[in-house]
Amino acid sequence: MVASQDALLAQMRRGTLQYCVLSLLADEERYGFDLVRGLAETDGMVTSEGTIYPLLSRLRRDGLVESTWQESPAGPPRRYYRLTDTGRAALEGFRLEWRRFRDAVDHFVERTET
Amino acid sequence: MSSTADKLIDDYLKRLNRELAGFPRARRRELVDEISEHIAEARADLESENEAAIRTLLDRLGDPEDIAAEARERLGIRPKGSGWDVVALIMLLVGGVILPVIGWIIGVVLLWVSETWTTREKLVGTLVVPGGLALPIFIGLTATSSELCSSYNGQPEVCEGGRSLAASILVISGMIVLFLAPIVTTAFLARRRSRAIVLA
Repeated sequence: MVASQDALLAQMRRGTLQYCVLSLLADEERYGFDLVRGLAETDGMVTSEGTIYPLLSRLRRDGLVESTWQESPAGPPRRYYRLTDTGRAALEGFRLEWRRFRDAVDHFVERTET
Repeated sequence: MSSTADKLIDDYLKRLNRELAGFPRARRRELVDEISEHIAEARADLESENEAAIRTLLDRLGDPEDIAAEARERLGIRPKGSGWDVVALIMLLVGGVILPVIGWIIGVVLLWVSETWTTREKLVGTLVVPGGLALPIFIGLTATSSELCSSYNGQPEVCEGGRSLAASILVISGMIVLFLAPIVTTAFLARRRSRAIVLA
């Protein structure tokens, strides 16, 4: 793989990561650790767990997610994240565009393989 | 065992905190808090707590430098008072020449007030070399004038003859080091500063 390709893939991951976070929160609220493990355990998504926290901070600042403290069954309280209405709208918008984009790229890229 | 684990984690969080120098205090605290909450959760999740397990846990979190770099990019952090940072660097280097002693002290104060650099970088900036370029210039002038002085006394041989070739080379290379060191330090601090600045 050439270097510019690495950079491109890194950019694509960076750009889409926030929508993966929003998707994870679409159905249920989650606490930070659970959210981060969920992302990090999917191969190829992030290189390290710690780099997800700055993104969470950004999403909160942009009003796409909000966090609340909740008691945990054991140990100290946990910071739970959930989608705001703005976050939900952003996710829906991205889903539509992503499907179009993915199908368009597949149309060209996958054709040669079959 | 637990004390080794605590120390590893403590070191990690301290490094993270240092790397986040230049961030607004609230953002910095928020990130460090969340990462330490993450560590606490991950630690509680471990089957058996040993040094290797803790190291793996921290490896998965990633290098504090990478986390800080990511945070700078995501949050568009630009250190406050960055204009003053430039003044600090200039005063550290040549402040003592423009305004003897006081100029350099102004540089030191601005350096330590700034949130751009880490404590270690600030120490380097202060100690290499105290006075900046004013120190080698001052030493150079004193040496020259003392030589002049002794020749006024009609004893130039004492001055020149008292210094062997080896000693001269030593003095000259010492002077070169004294001249170059503050320049290198300033370049280093300027580079660290530009690394800390990423526009949104």
